[in-house]
This record gives sequence, C-alpha cells and structure tokens, in this order.
Amino acid sequence: MVDAARHPKVEILSYSEVERVDGYIGNFRVGINRKPWYVIADNCTGCGDCAVVCPIEVPNTFEMGLAPRKAIDVPHGQAVPLIYSIDMDNCIQCFKCVTACGHRDAIDFGQQPEYVELDVGSIIVATGFESFDPTVIPEYGFGAYPNVITAMELERLDNSAGPTVGRLVRPSDGREPKSMAIIQCVGSRDKRFNEYCSGFCCMYAIKNAILMKQMIPDMEISIFYMDIRTPAKGYEEFYNRAREMGIRFVHGRPSQITEDPLTHNLYVEAEDQELGQVLELETDLVVLSAAAIPRADAGEVSTKLTLSRSPGGFFMEYHPKLRPVDSPTDGIFLAGAAQGPKDIPASVAQGSAAAARAARVLSSDTWEIEPIIASVDENVCVSAKGTKCGLCVPACPYGAISCVTGEPAKITSAKCHGCGGCVAECPHSAISQDHFTDAEIVAQLRALLQDNPEEKIVAFMCHWCSYGGADMAGTSHFEYPADSRGIRVMCSARMDQDFVLEAYRRGAGMVLLSGCHPQDCHYITGQQVAAKRFDRLQQAVERLGISPERFRVEWISAAEGEKYARVITEMSQTLKSLPKEQILSENRGARDSIERRLRRWKASPQMAELMAVAGDDLPGGEELS
Amino acid sequence: MIRSSELDRGFMREVMAIPGGENLIKCWSCGTCAATCLVRRYDPTFNPRLILRKAGMGMRQEVLSSREIWLCSACDACYPRCPQEIHISEVMKAIRTIAIAEGYEAPGPFAEVDTALCSGCAVCTRACPYGAIERQPVLVNGEERMVAQVDHTLCMHCGVCVAACPSGSITLEDYANDELIARMGAGGWLEEGSYQQGEATEPRILAFVCQWSMRSDAEWATLDAMQSDSLRIVNLPCSGRVDPGMILLALSQGADGVLVAGCSEGECHYKRGTYLGRSKVALLDTVLAQMGIQPGRVRFVELGAFDRGALPGLIAEMSAALKQPAVTVA
Repeated sequence: MVDAARHPKVEILSYSEVERVDGYIGNFRVGINRKPWYVIADNCTGCGDCAVVCPIEVPNTFEMGLAPRKAIDVPHGQAVPLIYSIDMDNCIQCFKCVTACGHRDAIDFGQQPEYVELDVGSIIVATGFESFDPTVIPEYGFGAYPNVITAMELERLDNSAGPTVGRLVRPSDGREPKSMAIIQCVGSRDKRFNEYCSGFCCMYAIKNAILMKQMIPDMEISIFYMDIRTPAKGYEEFYNRAREMGIRFVHGRPSQITEDPLTHNLYVEAEDQELGQVLELETDLVVLSAAAIPRADAGEVSTKLTLSRSPGGFFMEYHPKLRPVDSPTDGIFLAGAAQGPKDIPASVAQGSAAAARAARVLSSDTWEIEPIIASVDENVCVSAKGTKCGLCVPACPYGAISCVTGEPAKITSAKCHGCGGCVAECPHSAISQDHFTDAEIVAQLRALLQDNPEEKIVAFMCHWCSYGGADMAGTSHFEYPADSRGIRVMCSARMDQDFVLEAYRRGAGMVLLSGCHPQDCHYITGQQVAAKRFDRLQQAVERLGISPERFRVEWISAAEGEKYARVITEMSQTLKSLPKEQILSENRGARDSIERRLRRWKASPQMAELMAVAGDDLPGGEELS
Repeated sequence: MIRSSELDRGFMREVMAIPGGENLIKCWSCGTCAATCLVRRYDPTFNPRLILRKAGMGMRQEVLSSREIWLCSACDACYPRCPQEIHISEVMKAIRTIAIAEGYEAPGPFAEVDTALCSGCAVCTRACPYGAIERQPVLVNGEERMVAQVDHTLCMHCGVCVAACPSGSITLEDYANDELIARMGAGGWLEEGSYQQGEATEPRILAFVCQWSMRSDAEWATLDAMQSDSLRIVNLPCSGRVDPGMILLALSQGADGVLVAGCSEGECHYKRGTYLGRSKVALLDTVLAQMGIQPGRVRFVELGAFDRGALPGLIAEMSAALKQPAVTVA
C-alpha cells in the first residue's frame, strides 16, 4: 500500500465515495464525493499529537470494539495515507487538537465535502467483504456470553499492535485461556443464513490454532468442523502440521453453547461423529469462524456500476470459467472478496489479473466490441416523431440506451452486448440486432414449419443456457422425440412475441420459449425482461383461442440436458394427445387476429415475401399497408 | 460390515415420497440434531442423524425394525438449528408411516387405560398433545361402552393424560399416581412438621422436576445431592404430568411449598406439556389464595436450554420467599 502511495502514476483517494459512474469502456466519468477530513492533508505529518490530547474516546471499530479510539484518529496504524481525520459525530469541538497541532496548522474545521470527477478508461471493483454477525444464531450465545468471540476479535487479541499487545486474554476476566474451541461454518454452509462455503475459514482457524499453540503450548485447542477444506498448494500440509501439534479436530457441528454463570466457562455440545457420541466440552474461550458476507452496500455499488450479483450477493463475474475477473459491463473488473469469498493468495492473483485486464484497455487506442449489437432505425423510431415511448430503455440491462422525446433512441454501441431485449421490446420494430434480425428469424420459422407444421414444436433457445442444455442432451445421448425444431437467439429477452405469433400463424403445433435461470442470465437482467413478457404472452396466446398447453416457458441451464430432454418429451406427448383437427382449427381461428397484429411486418416487402404462405390467398403486405 | 448388495437403494426415495420425508436427501450428517436431541441424553442409542443416514443409505430393514424410530417425540428442538433446514421429526414420521404399514409396532411404554374405570368423559382426548387418545366402543363387563383407547403409534408417554384423568383410570409405567405419591413421601418426608408450623428450621419444598428440563447428568447429580429434609425432588416425565391433587396432598401435610420445574415454553419435549403444567399451577395458586392460603406456595419455573444450573438458585429463591411472614388474605 505504501508503494502504491509513492508511485507517481497512482493516486489514492481515501475517505471518498463513488457517487456515479457514466460512460463506457475507455471513457468512464466517475463522480466522487471526497468527505472532509477536517485536516489539511498536505500539512498533516501523521505525528498523532492531536490524538494524544483529544479527550473523547469511542469504541474502535478496527479493534472490533475491544479498544477505544479518539475523535481525531487514523483508522489504524498502517493506514495509507497516514492522515488524521476528525469524527464529527463524536467531536465536542474543544479545539485541543488545534493547539496541539500548533505551527503545522493542519486542522481545519471549515473543510467541506468536495465533488470531483475523473475520466478513466477502466475500473476495478475491490470493495471486499464483511463478517457475518453471529448474534442471530441464539444457540451459540455470541453477544450474550463474554467469552464467545469471533475470529476477527481473536485476530486483534493476538496481534502485537492490538489492544492487548498480543497477549491472548478472556474477555470476561482478563485471564489467559487454558483451552479454546473454534467453531467452523458459523453462518455459512447453513441454509438459514448463507448457503455457500466461505472458503478461507478452515485455513485461518488452523492458522489461529497453530499461533495460539505456539504462544501458549499447554493450551487445549479443539476445532469443531463439518468438513475441513484445505485444497490449495501447501494447505493440506499446514493442516497436518496442526494435527501433529496436538490440536484436536472434532468432526461434528456444535448444537449449542451454554455458560456457567459463575466462572463464565463455556460448554460446547456437539456430536463427535467419529465416536458417534455427544461430546460436552468445557472450555475457556470459544471462537466462531463467522461467514464472509457481501458488504452491506453491495446493492448500491452494483446499481452505480451496472454490475450483477450472484445468488450469495457477491458481484458476479462475466463468466465463471473463461472471464473470471471481468464484470458484465465492459471495462469494469472485479478483484478480491467482492466477487466471492477468497483468501489472500487468490485475492492477490485476481487483483493482478484484474490490473492486467484493465491495463489492456488503457494501452489500446481502439477497442473491439461484440459483432452482435443493436441499432435504431431513426426513420422508424416514434420517439423521433415526438411520441413519448422509451420502452427500450428499461429493457437494456447495460444502460446503453437513452431516449429523449423528440429525438430517436440512441444506443451506445460500446455498451451494447447484443442481448436483443430492446429489439423485442420495441413495439414499432425500429430496433434491429445484427445477425438476429426479424427477417432472419422469420426465415428460419418458414423453413422449419414447411411441412406438417402442426406436428412440430418450435423451441426458441437462448444461446448461453438452453441451447447449451439442448446440446448437452445431445452429447449425453439423452433420448427425446424428434418433433422439436430449435431456433437459437442470444437471450430469452430477444424472443419477440411476434415470433410466437408467426409460429402459430404458420401452423406450429407447439411453442417452447426457454432461457437461463434468473441467476444465470448472461445479460444480467435479460431473463427478467423476458419472463415479464412471457407472462403477458401466455395470456395473449390464450386470448387467441390457442390451448394453453400448446405454449410453454421453461428455464433450462446449459447443464440441464436431462431437463431439456424431459421438457421436449413431455411436450411431444401432449402434442400427440391433442387431436390434430383441434390444432388446425385453433390455428385457423387465430390466424386473422395474428395477421392484423403482424401487419407492421408485412409493410416491408422483404418480410412480406418471407411471410407468404404457399397456396395462401390472404392479402399480402402491400394491400394491408 | 454392510454389503452394498444388502442395501435397498429405493428406500430413500420411498421415505421421500411421503409428505415430510422429502428433505431426507438434504442431510449431510453434521450431527447438530444428535447433539441437540433431548432423548439422546436418556437413551444413548437414539441418534437422529444416524437414523437419517441409515435411511439414506438404504438400510431398510434395520431402520424399520429399530426401536429408535419410535423415540422422537417431535419436540422439534433440532429443527430450528439444522443448517439444512430439515424438519427431522417429519422425516421420522415418514419413516414410521412405512414401518406402521409394514406391521411394525412401537415398543412403548404407553399410557394404559383401565376400561373398567374409564367413564368415557374424553378429558384425556383433549389433553393429549399428540391426539393419541380417542374414544372407541369397547366391550366392558358385557356391555359396549365408549371408552378412551390409546393409539400406540402416536403415544409418547408424557403422562399428560394420567394427570388429566378425573377417574384415575390411566396409568403410565414408572409414573402412576401411587408410584409418585410413594416417592413424594418416601422416608416419611411428608409426615414431618413444616416450617410454617414451626417444626422445621427451613421451609420444606417439594420440587416436581420435568426430566427434560435438566440438560445434563451433572445437573441431575447436583440436584440429587441437594435433597434433604427441606428439599424433596420428584421427577416427572413432563411438567404437564403434575397433578394438582398431589400438590394439595403435599401442602396439607409437611410441605411448605411446591415447585414445579418444566422446560421453557416452545422447548417442551411434548409440544404443549409445559403450557398445561404452568396453567395448572397458576390456577391452583389462585384457588389457594381464594381459600385464604398465602399465594406463592406453589410455583412454576421454566428452564430453557440456556438456563444451565439455574434450578438450585430458583429453589433457594422460593425458600427465601416462604420465610417471609405470611400475608393474610381476607
């Protein structure tokens, strides 16, 4: 950190908050609120004379509340930059610090917050994590029993710069503990709180146990665990070392901790599964390995930066295997525990990778974007003609579209990822997507439904999940009937309701719309845009007189080949159970109103030609327009 | 040794197909339930984790024929602590459903009804926390009468019905009325004079203690060691088993006060035994006051999972209160 501060090309803005982020890869504008320190940074030498004279003491959050700090202070001894700041919530304005600072004249009670804007090419998000608060688990008595502490508190207690100068003591009586129990998976791997594994707790619990054992050799240390996870290089050896040092590992998740009210000793109860018996362990100190959880403001940060979050609440990477440090927004990268719980080696590795990815942007004069992007036909967009519309704006998961009435909607190509949500949402077909134009899809429908369409299932699949699922069904040799005809689009958001109507107009027996599960969507919220539309569509299809069982929506992931095969099998069975005459008559009945709905398409000669049905005597586009 | 060829692979699915059993597959054997379980303290052979594990492995015969599957009283102490949110008593119920269908029977003991004495009043059917008692036509002395009958697959032998029965027609092994009275007065404890009569130096307290409210053997040992001329401990299967008649009997003889200790509300091993026990004591205290007897001579205390070692203090507190000069109630 000190090196970073000294680097001529690194500027650290501490005590600052990102207010807004505009722009796109290579051209971001970041609005930052710099909070007042009430200390002039250039004048402060970090000597600490002001803190010595400050009469106010408040709990020190860095020391987990185990020690006090002053109203003028630095967050911790190694803070960079080492500039003192005044905590105005607690300052009584006695101005003793001003006197103590003397000729250095660093203290300025008149300092105001400052708003700065920076133009940057790329952004790395490394906002870290928070520790789970175990008070919500009543059976472990954290908060109620003084000698139940978290691992973070233990870290401070055994730190030579900590409140006890590195001497481990029991909070209840200041005595050195003779025994210690460490409990793993507190708040993680627990469906009641966080389902995920926090990953690094096993290693830090073993580390703490070894440190304590070295410090107090006769201390009896037990680690209660469900599974010890030490998969990385050198980790297993470390675990073995702990066992060889005589640290007791108990395979069993404690059910409760009770306290002797007189001695404040604790009783940990757990089933020792190796023995198959319940163990009641009396101990001086209990240390909870609390889960790593996303920071409380992760939601706010994700809104400002257009990030998405995984089910556990951490920021989601672009692709878990192939692009693990990229965020879904180009030019924004993720590093460290903000993306998911990880230990120091993994955080350093990801940080270095993120820096390299960001440098790639900075060192390029031009940037290649994806070929599949959306564009607006300014002659068709009704917004340009003064109509209030803007339906495309909320459909874009990347905030790439802006729409001002009186002007055509504008898509920032660099931000567009080509999901096609806006294309399908636009009621006037003013937006088209390269490589997935309406004409291309309609042409596919025409080809697929050439013969005996009433015996076919038209399956729209999203590129990332359902198409992968269908692929998986094939490569896994899951058998399913050959009635389905797949049409691939990039995202379920691209599945225009007109496609479904066109399929029925062409006499399709059934239509399946399939996409990713909500949390898996490759385009952040594309699936949600689609799901909303499909709900409406379901009703629309019924109103057309088409039996509801002939329309189906399924979320199928790339790993669910079995599900894809099952869905198609079920649909095929349903299709076969329906009388052919019923399908034909339903399609005939719906045809007129579908034709009316699709007349906008028919206005274009190319589309009219694609939509023409052999032997059809219905009027073509020219007459309708 | 368990041979894979002896396992019934379909057993897990069979349990999961019964409503309540569907979560069996989620168990990863962390042992939280086993360490929480109250039954386990009294019957070390009982281990809910192991039953779920065996069922998951497909040890069909062993699971269905074991007596352990009948021991879970559905107190649900483990349910809120399970990290996989498995409602373990429901899984147990699903396993029992299969066992019942296959003709296995619960091992007991059960509450037993003396049909000759039963008046068929149905007080017990309403008292039973498990709905295990129903009135059924039974041939008694040559005539068909509606009398209480205990469903052995549901009875958990808490003894609530025994205390509720006005005709004294229900008994429970080890906890029948005469057995409890004998334990109360063993060694002539009840015959000795009370503190109130000026014949004892300390108030003499009879404590009925629910067997589940003491969480460890050490606690029982402490309590046992405290037994003296001024303290008599009688344990009950549940505080709901307490009989107001016995309390009155004690007070009318040599006891100055009667304390009933049960589990805290929500932690009762028998669903609502604590509620019933506490209600009975509260009502009795009011009735005694109306009869001109100092309130506070009967007391109900709730002991939660975290009140380790609290009971001796509560007994001392009651003793001190009983030393206060009696308040005359008009």
